[in-house]
Amino acid sequence: MHLWMDLDWQPIWLTLRLALVTTTLLLLIGIPIASWLAYTRFRGKSILEAIISLPLVLPPSVLGFYFLLTFSPAHAVGQWLAMYLDVHLLFTFQGLVVASLFYSLPFMVHPIQAGLENLSPSLREAAYTLGKSRSETLWRVLLPNIKPALLTGIVLSFAHTIGEFGLVLMIGGNLPGQTRVASIAIYDEVELLRYDTAHAYALLLLAISFGILLAVYSINKRWVTF
Amino acid sequence: MPLVFSTGPADLAVELELKTGSLTGLYGPSGSGKTTLLRILAGLTTPTDGFIRHQDQLWLDTTHQVVLPVQQRPVGMVFQDAALFPNMTVRENVQFATGKRRDGLVDELLELVNLGALANRKPDSLSGGQRQRVALIRALARRPQVLLLDEPFSALDEETREQLLTELIRLHRQFGTTTILVSHQREELSRVADRLIKVENGRIRERETGESLNTALVPVRFTGTIVRIEDQRAIVRLPEGGVMQIQLPLAASWKPGSSVTVVVSEPADQ
Repeated sequence: MHLWMDLDWQPIWLTLRLALVTTTLLLLIGIPIASWLAYTRFRGKSILEAIISLPLVLPPSVLGFYFLLTFSPAHAVGQWLAMYLDVHLLFTFQGLVVASLFYSLPFMVHPIQAGLENLSPSLREAAYTLGKSRSETLWRVLLPNIKPALLTGIVLSFAHTIGEFGLVLMIGGNLPGQTRVASIAIYDEVELLRYDTAHAYALLLLAISFGILLAVYSINKRWVTF
Repeated sequence: MPLVFSTGPADLAVELELKTGSLTGLYGPSGSGKTTLLRILAGLTTPTDGFIRHQDQLWLDTTHQVVLPVQQRPVGMVFQDAALFPNMTVRENVQFATGKRRDGLVDELLELVNLGALANRKPDSLSGGQRQRVALIRALARRPQVLLLDEPFSALDEETREQLLTELIRLHRQFGTTTILVSHQREELSRVADRLIKVENGRIRERETGESLNTALVPVRFTGTIVRIEDQRAIVRLPEGGVMQIQLPLAASWKPGSSVTVVVSEPADQ
């Protein structure tokens, strides 16, 4: 069919790019946070954990709405960012990344935190008695022993970002090549009654998601036997 | 040189001094505080009040807010579950302690516990006894001054326990560590320890030292002359000088002046 050849693949690449960048950043941010939550006790810890978990229960449009207000150059934060850092987060790819970081954070933090908490505490303590610092212990002993949890975090964050809609709808602006991700494009095409194109995008997303899950389950199986 | 400390979380109140190079056994019922004591020494737990000095190094002094982190204390610790890192081979586990080197130190250490052949195996393919041997040599790899063992053999069968206890003594002497061994089995400890301490409800109940411990029974023979007989007892003069009083068997027909050989079972270091 001409459909596939004439299809504008940009939304697909954009979606994948967004998911990749977000997931990579989430890995770098999520590991220290998860480790901190797993191993530290402090007053107000439950408040922090609740805040991090909010995106799990909050309607994406609520999150989107507050981002809209915050990032808007008419208000404090947005104004400051524009003035001092020349950073504009509304209707830009960067803005989507920042919003996605908040939106998918619990999907990275929770599995890693749970993985670390399930490790025998003596592993960490043994490493300390061998003179290793906290960070060396984390990277050389703990994380290598929670690979399935890391993989879960990566996959969930990636998939969750691909599936973003309400959030992007609020702060994206539907700009081709910038913020017109696949989920928005599908919606768009349906509105324009171009069902063929919508179907193409939907099928592609389905195939990508399924492919990722399949790969993950196969890898996980092999890993369980270390 | 002394190690002294006192009090801790959950109501542990202890004062203790240990001799350098000694092997001390800590025993007591579960929950008595013996593991907590060990953890405080290691630096894994910090008590609300405490003082630990090792030789001339201050490890803990709560009144002056001195807490030496566990990483900086010259201790090695063996845990009940061995705590070998599953993502590393036996060799890598020991190398983790020594750091990457080319001088064959790791192989040397593995040979000390006869595990050279298993160097490239992962911990989950080893038996419990093998794992604890790796844990032991890994804890000793950095030549710590203090070796702490938290019920290291309790999950093992009797025969393996015996073997490992013997290895422990050998390594303890070879490395010259001040060793503290926690066990819930007093009899096991009395075989190997220079000193036994009972911990109960967070307090030290008994201390026993010395001659009844650390025994290897060795029969000794004396030959001497009977000097005098009273009731069923004979006074025997020994050729090296000195006299001994022995109980005579009823049927014996000994007379003063007769030669008698006496066999005695006696602790080896007396």
